[in-house]
Amino acid sequence: MTAFAQRVRYRPRRLPAIVPIGIVVVAGAVLAGHGFASPRNIGNLGLQASVLLMLSMPMTLIIMSEGLDLSAGAVLSLCSVAMGLSLAAGHGIGVALAVSLAAGLAFGVTNGALVSLFGLPPFVVTLGTLGIAEGCALVLTDGNAVSGLGAGISTLYASHYAGVPFPVAVALATWLVTHVLLYHTRFGNYVFAIGGNRDALVLAGVPAWAWHIAIYAYGGLVSGVAALLLTGRMNAAHPTVAIGMEFDAIAAVVLGGTSFERGDGRLAGSVLGVATITVLRNALDLLGVESSLQVVAIGVLIMAVIVIDSAHSTWRAGPA
Amino acid sequence: MTVVDSPADATAADAPLLSLVGISKTFPGVRALEGVSLDLYGGEVHMLLGENGAGKSSLVKVLYGAYRADAGTILHAGRPVEIHRPADARRLGIAVIFQEFSLVPFLDLAQNIYLGREPCRRVTRLIDHARMHRDARTLLDALGLDYDTRALPVHLGVAQQQMVEIAKALSQRARILVMDEPTAALSDREADALFAVIRQLRADGVAIAYISHRMQEVLDLGDRVTVLRDGRRVATMPRAEASADALIRMMVGRPVGAVYQRRGYAEPGVPVLEVRGLRTATGVNGVDLSVRAGEIVGLSGLVGAGRTEVARAVFGADPIEAGDVRVFGAPARGDPARMAARGVALIPENRKQQGLALARSTQDNLLAASLWKLFPRGRYRTRQARARARDLIERLRIVPAQPRRLVRLLSGGNQQKVVIGKWLSADCRLFIFDEPTRGIDVGAKSDIYALIEDLVMRGAAVLLISSELSEIVNVCDRAYVMRGGRVAGELPRARLSEENILRLAMHEA
Repeated sequence: MTAFAQRVRYRPRRLPAIVPIGIVVVAGAVLAGHGFASPRNIGNLGLQASVLLMLSMPMTLIIMSEGLDLSAGAVLSLCSVAMGLSLAAGHGIGVALAVSLAAGLAFGVTNGALVSLFGLPPFVVTLGTLGIAEGCALVLTDGNAVSGLGAGISTLYASHYAGVPFPVAVALATWLVTHVLLYHTRFGNYVFAIGGNRDALVLAGVPAWAWHIAIYAYGGLVSGVAALLLTGRMNAAHPTVAIGMEFDAIAAVVLGGTSFERGDGRLAGSVLGVATITVLRNALDLLGVESSLQVVAIGVLIMAVIVIDSAHSTWRAGPA
Repeated sequence: MTVVDSPADATAADAPLLSLVGISKTFPGVRALEGVSLDLYGGEVHMLLGENGAGKSSLVKVLYGAYRADAGTILHAGRPVEIHRPADARRLGIAVIFQEFSLVPFLDLAQNIYLGREPCRRVTRLIDHARMHRDARTLLDALGLDYDTRALPVHLGVAQQQMVEIAKALSQRARILVMDEPTAALSDREADALFAVIRQLRADGVAIAYISHRMQEVLDLGDRVTVLRDGRRVATMPRAEASADALIRMMVGRPVGAVYQRRGYAEPGVPVLEVRGLRTATGVNGVDLSVRAGEIVGLSGLVGAGRTEVARAVFGADPIEAGDVRVFGAPARGDPARMAARGVALIPENRKQQGLALARSTQDNLLAASLWKLFPRGRYRTRQARARARDLIERLRIVPAQPRRLVRLLSGGNQQKVVIGKWLSADCRLFIFDEPTRGIDVGAKSDIYALIEDLVMRGAAVLLISSELSEIVNVCDRAYVMRGGRVAGELPRARLSEENILRLAMHEA
């Protein structure tokens, strides 16, 4: 029997290390007590996790495409400022959301175009747009928080849908939309292909450059929506509110088992990564651990997961 | 010149499915294709033959829209068509299977087969996974392949990935299938099974253009054969009129001395490199060779014959499984650093990645391998370093003659000179060159050859790995030809010709 006539069986993929580690972290937090499992704290967790979850969804796609978006936090801050300014100018929430989406989209398309059309390294491109977005937000606000937005947005933030708080509902909707995009549309297949073998996509006659831009554009749009949550929570828009949040998002994606190479990634892994980071932060807060040490803990967690995942690397030269 | 424009196979359709007429393509400094015409008929396997740089890959690239021809027309079923993009080729039913596979590692087989043509539900535009897997199943079954359509390409061997590529081409209902050395990575038995599939496709009326370097397969499988040389079509003939000898004679044909004229041949000295029964896990399967001081020994063969692997094993970059390698009379079992310290230089094929620090100056690169020799106490002396660099620049005729010039800004030929200078400065006495003139323009080539000859005149020994037959024939004292991980034969100077090299490299028997 020749080699290619041999049967090839489907082999389910190994679970990423975040699954057991996430369970350990959550169990540890529950057992540590200090009111972690109280309904009130669980509610808080949902609110804390929602913006991070939104950022990490497009970040998963971006990293799968062998990219990176360092500008996500700064763009989100700018979106929030744009939203705040138009609310303060007396516009309704619809207009404010449109303005925010436009700002996010502009930065997303810029990132994507520079990466896709000019072949510039995503790290450098998004470091640049990070600076631009942050600068724009500061210039637009003179460095001060925008307030006087009216009651509309904070009412929206406090609203519930079938018992689910608004921010959690929006975050879950983002997950659902991203899941459908990644696993049930052509766009999703092309995300895997751009990261795994871009030439194959081009040879298949697909305009890979456009889809590559679309990945970053999607990130910008999600930032535009997430600005609703940030602005609503404080009923104000602060120009540096989300600076640095991209690092937690990148950490969540990496924890979830998404690789910077070959277009390997899992959306559910990123959700687990978000949950783990949020729970860890929250539990350490309750235990009175200072925030600088929390960052160390997250760093240790990432290293542990990466070491375990790479030790189990599934890629082998031939059939195993 | 034999040019036959009707198919040899009587069952083939009357009009060609695809005709290339007078296709030309020029790059700065290179005429890749010059007025090449080619007819592809349904139900024929059309073999494309030619040595490296003959224009086969360029022709394929024109066919699927990666290159746009400067001149010439493409006729599809008799009507002129433009192929500007891969998508155009695909619409015309042209599919290409490349040597490097175009599978996406983390999409399953069904997703890979239908990449870019995923069946979508009507209203929602969501992918119809059920239908996609069903269609993929049908397709694989038709090829007799029992692969789970949910498996990932990582779970497949090379031959199996090749079959998925074929399935992918068939799923496009390709009527014109171009295969670029499909058996290069296959074992003999796998190749036989592939041939069975190809014969089936031919019986189904598909036109197959098949690039090969293996004479046996050209003669076994081909209905017609076209030979290309230096971007031109030399001949197209039916299989019945082709013989291995005649085809090889058509592939070669440059006069000796046209590329480089040796100044002289020295009497070889003591053996510097002796290899006996070398085997490696990387595919070297019993190699014997020797290089003596004062001689340039060629190591020829087709791509994939195991030449680079021999060089890497000798240099200690890959482990040796069996055999005896002696360098300067002593056994060579060591890592590259130890081999370099003993006076062995490997000048790798990919100089930009493996041989140069592109962001550093000419001087820094020239001295990179000899810093400890120059400054044994570890203290860098600028003036001394500058003087040494100037010496080397002059001796190697590096242009521009500026030690502080960034290597990145030099031409390919001058970059190669810097790599050579780096090892020259380290007093190496055995030089292994792997494709030293790839991507270098003609003028700089003869400079490189002159440098290599200088090396042996000073008593060094050179092993020259090259796919360019003319390079081996014009530059070397003698040559070994490899095929399938072994030395297929040795050619002394009297018998060193392009034709003899090809005969050894291509004959399967």
